[in-house]
Amino acid sequence: MSQYKIIFTGPVGAGKTTAIDSISDVAPVKTDAAASDMTKNRKAATTVAMDYGIMNLDDGEKIHLYGTPGQERFDFMWDILTVGGIGLVLLLDNTRADPFKDMQFFLDSFGKFISETSVAIGITQMDLSSKPSINDYHKYLQDSDLKPAIFAVDARVKNDVSLLVQALLFSLDPGLEGE
Amino acid sequence: MKNKQSSPLKVALYGMDDRAYKTMSMYLKGPCKGVAIVVDEADAEIDVLDADHIKARELLGQIQARTPNRPLIILSLEEILLDGTIYVKKPVETVDVLAALKQAKASLATEKVKDIAKPETEEIIDEPSTPQSTNQPVTKEKVPAAKNIDKEEKKKVSKHRTATDLTEGGFSTYIGIIDGIDFSDPEQALKASYSPKGYFLGYVQSALKVCKAKGRILQLNSGWKPLIVFPHSQEIWLDVEDKQLRAFAGVTISKNGAKAMSLTAIDQSNFDMKEKMEGFFDSDHFLWKLAIWTSKGRFPDTIDISKPVYLKQWPNFTRLVVTPHAMQIAALLIRGPRTAMSIADALNIKPQYVFVFISAANVLGIVGQARRQVDELISPSEVKATKSKGLLSRVLDRLRGKGI
Repeated sequence: MSQYKIIFTGPVGAGKTTAIDSISDVAPVKTDAAASDMTKNRKAATTVAMDYGIMNLDDGEKIHLYGTPGQERFDFMWDILTVGGIGLVLLLDNTRADPFKDMQFFLDSFGKFISETSVAIGITQMDLSSKPSINDYHKYLQDSDLKPAIFAVDARVKNDVSLLVQALLFSLDPGLEGE
Repeated sequence: MKNKQSSPLKVALYGMDDRAYKTMSMYLKGPCKGVAIVVDEADAEIDVLDADHIKARELLGQIQARTPNRPLIILSLEEILLDGTIYVKKPVETVDVLAALKQAKASLATEKVKDIAKPETEEIIDEPSTPQSTNQPVTKEKVPAAKNIDKEEKKKVSKHRTATDLTEGGFSTYIGIIDGIDFSDPEQALKASYSPKGYFLGYVQSALKVCKAKGRILQLNSGWKPLIVFPHSQEIWLDVEDKQLRAFAGVTISKNGAKAMSLTAIDQSNFDMKEKMEGFFDSDHFLWKLAIWTSKGRFPDTIDISKPVYLKQWPNFTRLVVTPHAMQIAALLIRGPRTAMSIADALNIKPQYVFVFISAANVLGIVGQARRQVDELISPSEVKATKSKGLLSRVLDRLRGKGI
């Protein structure tokens, strides 16, 4: 049986683990550990390997949900993770000092994968910091070839994560219909 | 000698670099005898702006947007007389500063200022040009420290509420329908237009434009409920339930009704926004909702529906009402211009779902009429199914069944 994956990526604390938790049918396998480096400024525990969740489909097929570690020192894993991926969900933390820089970094890092599939971007923590706005993110990308869905997302809210992943699916194929 | 005030006035400083900020703080403690102390914006009663700062104009706009009823003292080399502000000439003299603070205090007491824009105050911290940010020690760590958060933003529950996702079945119940139009008849469908100008929607759009152009917070009076536009934070405040707004949105504004429409300064005596934080809406969310309730499946007459339209960007669907097939329409339209009917054909959906989407996206300014000759010359490409369409459809089912 094929391995179908949706990849969740983004910087430390953007809500990847929580987002996977929101839509996974099983308790996600978390590989958090006490943060011991610069990450400790933002989170007490952080993902040092990857998060893993599953969406079970009616016919027994499974969609694997992988969350990349947020720390750049694990970027060697990202290429391996994306093999067989359906698309990318990029989560960005709006309270970080330069979320545009974060976005650019991840769009560049996953550029090849995005060009072969698609990306949907979720901006988290907007209820804590409403700037930059969603429009600001679109403006930032207006000179690029990308026109991704960019949504405000509360990673704890299933509906938000669900809509973001739906946007990813429709980006891949607008003609999709439920079966 | 200690000042006899029971508690010092709390002031927030803007437009000052680290040194000026510290100097002013010391000045208030020393020569001004502690009549005022410098506090964070969120806790302040009075704002003090150095208008000679390079970004003073921008800062002024932010202050007026965020704390419109808080007394504002402007320090400047040149005389600046703005309504509702207190001017102190630089270099400042103690007597002038004390007089200005006294005037500000009197203003606080007499007007019983309601700090309506307190939720916004810490947004200023986000701006690199603000004194708060310049006073923050620069972190040398690779991972930047989190910004100060807006404690009040969370209270704006309407603004951050997750989307309402409508199925076809929910369309007529939630949005409403226009009797007498058979959307399955292309001829009738292409005539199903409405003029936004004739509805509350048009007046709200105009109010937003005026407020944005003037950079002022204003109140739209309609003979109904007062609506307040915050152009800097792109928010609208209206104390109303959805069902009331839905009903009002669908009513054509008569000539007499139009005469009642006016934009004025905020009348504080009628309401207290701070007590009703749920009345704050993101202006896009509000306009989107108003547009779908005005449209009821029709398209705005400002769009030539026979010609292609294009989508500049995806709507922020998690904070909007997701009308039936809106995601599909957006995903298709973001790829290139199409006519409304070609979208309906390509997705095999009813035209009113396309029209209502175009109506809503149009008020946000993210839909445009394609004007290039090529857009009419060449028909849009077919929607090709992906190899894994079956799988993706099942994932979609799973998400819709599970998440919504």
